[in-house]
Amino acid sequence: MSFDFGSLAEFGMERELFLWRAIFPLDIHIKSMYRVPMIRKELVAASAEPLILSLLAKGESYGYAIIQEVKARSGGKMNWTDGMLYPVLHRMERRGLIKARWAESETGRKRKYYSLKKDGKAAMARHHEQWSLVHSVLAGLKKEQYV
Amino acid sequence: MFDLEQSIADWRKQMLAAGIKSPVPLEELEIHLREEIERQVKSGLSEQEFFNSAVQKIGQAHMIQNEFKKVEATKEDRNWKFVENLFAVVTSLFSLFLCGMVIFKMGSFSEATSSQQTSCLVGIGTFALLAWGGRLSCRMFPVVRARQIRDAICVSGGALLMLWWMVFVHIILPRHDFTTGKLLVTILWVMIVPCGIFLGLSWGIEAAARKKVAMTGS
Repeated sequence: MSFDFGSLAEFGMERELFLWRAIFPLDIHIKSMYRVPMIRKELVAASAEPLILSLLAKGESYGYAIIQEVKARSGGKMNWTDGMLYPVLHRMERRGLIKARWAESETGRKRKYYSLKKDGKAAMARHHEQWSLVHSVLAGLKKEQYV
Repeated sequence: MFDLEQSIADWRKQMLAAGIKSPVPLEELEIHLREEIERQVKSGLSEQEFFNSAVQKIGQAHMIQNEFKKVEATKEDRNWKFVENLFAVVTSLFSLFLCGMVIFKMGSFSEATSSQQTSCLVGIGTFALLAWGGRLSCRMFPVVRARQIRDAICVSGGALLMLWWMVFVHIILPRHDFTTGKLLVTILWVMIVPCGIFLGLSWGIEAAARKKVAMTGS
């Protein structure tokens, strides 16, 4: 049932949602679990570097695959304008966080593969620390609201 | 009839017109566009529909170009840092070299008296202070945002300095009869110290503008 609830909400059917809510006065957290709005563009921009670094830490990748993976992992809630990824990648390359090489894919398509450098690993660790801190502060405050 | 290759060629032209450079990064963006189109072929849309959708997803040329410009800016910052360091090294080496010549009485400095030596050393110190003073006190300089105006100030300052040197060497100097020691002191104070003023001013104006840009990020 909660799944239906979520998919309805996702299509923005506010009226149906209202009906569902009237019929099933379920608690709010189902709504908050399934109805996360699109992430704001400021947050998307700020999280681009840590996400790219963490993705590349798993192995080398190329622009298109990076975007697809972020999209899939966020359930389509993190909407990158595809072209905007490349300036970010180039800037990170300039700063010596990642390196790039041209290679051919198994289908014969030329691709630019990016991989993590040593400085990139250090930068990733710093990002993780900072984001964890922000998250723990937020989670702590949220917890206190329900006490 | 919709021609995919022609549409991609047109899209490339739009990107180039917005200032996106070829082959990098345009090549990379085109590969991305083609991958997106390829993936959408499987969704059963018409060729034109998936081309339009892929183009829309990749974003507007001028917005992408704006982001790439920021990457260029960071590269320029690095170049500026290099120039600054080079400048600092050259001016300090120059000052040290002159100081060494004065102290160890090398070349024509052998004829200088000890008070002339002191005056020379103070002159060299003033030169170095003036040259680096601009950089150190760049917060007090006016911020000139337009690069052309900064360049114009720099060039006209340089021209003025050259003019002063010519006047001094060709007009003022021949009318006086200096001993070697006096000549050296005069050259140091009249030619080298103004050079320090010029270097300090140009360095300060440039550094002030760059600092402001770095802070506002624009």
